[in-house]
Amino acid sequence: MTKSYFSNKWIGFSGALAFAAIFMVGCVSDVKKDDGGGDENAAAVDSSTTKLMSIGGSMFSIPSPIQTAMLIEKSGSDYNKQFLNDAKRVTTYATNYQKALNLGVYGADVGYVTIYDQSQDAIKYMGVINKLTDELGITGAFDESTIKRFENNFGKRDSMLNLVAVAYRNADAFLKDNDRMNVGALVLAGGWIETLYFTTQIAVKDGNQDVINRIGEQKYTLNNIVKMLTPYYNQPEYDVLVDELIELAYDFDAIDIQYTYEKPQVDIANKTTKINSRTDVVITPEHLQAIADKVKTIRNKIVGQQ
Amino acid sequence: MRTKTLRILMASLIMGLAYIGNTSAQCDSIARICADNVTADYISDGQSYRALLNGDQVAEFRATFYGGSTYRIAGCSGFTDGNLIFEIYDEDHNQLFASSDYKNTPYWDFEFGSTVDCTIEAKLNLNNVKSGCAAMVIGFKQ
Repeated sequence: MTKSYFSNKWIGFSGALAFAAIFMVGCVSDVKKDDGGGDENAAAVDSSTTKLMSIGGSMFSIPSPIQTAMLIEKSGSDYNKQFLNDAKRVTTYATNYQKALNLGVYGADVGYVTIYDQSQDAIKYMGVINKLTDELGITGAFDESTIKRFENNFGKRDSMLNLVAVAYRNADAFLKDNDRMNVGALVLAGGWIETLYFTTQIAVKDGNQDVINRIGEQKYTLNNIVKMLTPYYNQPEYDVLVDELIELAYDFDAIDIQYTYEKPQVDIANKTTKINSRTDVVITPEHLQAIADKVKTIRNKIVGQQ
Repeated sequence: MRTKTLRILMASLIMGLAYIGNTSAQCDSIARICADNVTADYISDGQSYRALLNGDQVAEFRATFYGGSTYRIAGCSGFTDGNLIFEIYDEDHNQLFASSDYKNTPYWDFEFGSTVDCTIEAKLNLNNVKSGCAAMVIGFKQ
């Protein structure tokens, strides 16, 4: 009786595994065909894809938090530690959901402090990031040697930033390779929210137009973040975050963005194309304040700040 | 009968897992080689873009490029240049770039005067390869 039960269970288990393997292999090539007609929908990637394929029909490139931190520094805004997540809070993140989001948050923070040449703060954040990647089981991205190389490059800002960025890219690759795209999506979302948090706080305080415009441009990225997270809506905690981001998207809808196409110029010798198209952003102070308030609420909830 | 079925299922499982493992390893290697095109003067955008393509399939991804930045976009498949064709479109589907216009160059630089929301489409150069992992790498400087 016991043997029979075991056999049936084993066959069922093996069958399920084999089916899963066949299904996964079958899905690897589950991409829509190019009909050559330039139709946008026809070119889209099918949503039933594998770990190597896209998320929800498209892959999403979320702009690097480093770029906006660079813009803030260029705007003349002073370094302000108050905008960052306290490194000590890292011990309070208990779930993988919290750890993944805050891995993104601390990534944005380490970019910000590095741009302002705050080496001691940067090292502190690198240690926190190392701890979170360990706890999330992400290998081959951040380790002692990464931190050592980071320290060895003190004073070479772009080298330090690139070290962090490449480490995050390796973490992203690891998560995709290991079928943990939900965790990867949270890391990207956390980095984006933290950046938007300190950008809105600075914009409200300083009123720099370039920084304000950058906030308006996040309308595109917010849509991509929501699409990226939506496939995980049925997982605990994701639903709340997606709902909050959709609420935020309503505020972004009030921002007027006008796009005008202009023909690009090509410099073949230098393998460069100059994109001349323009995007104009109109955002009122009231909308900016509303967005800043909502982002602050979402962000403080993520980091656990009252 | 049951034993034969079990063997077939197990063989399928092993082959399937081996295929997936090989694909991931192959993609890792291609992505690493592709990253060499994005030289040290560019900062990585911190993400890894991969897709397994077969025949004339097209991978698509959405990206926002910020004004005032220069981006280097590299696209690779396999271990030699020119196996991947990539095209960039704006939000109105105007074509901004096609690597096929430049001998399927593995990388190209883009100077954005203003922020533009784009779609990048990547497909295999079927003259060279019929299937494989497509990897793209993006770096920027300001």
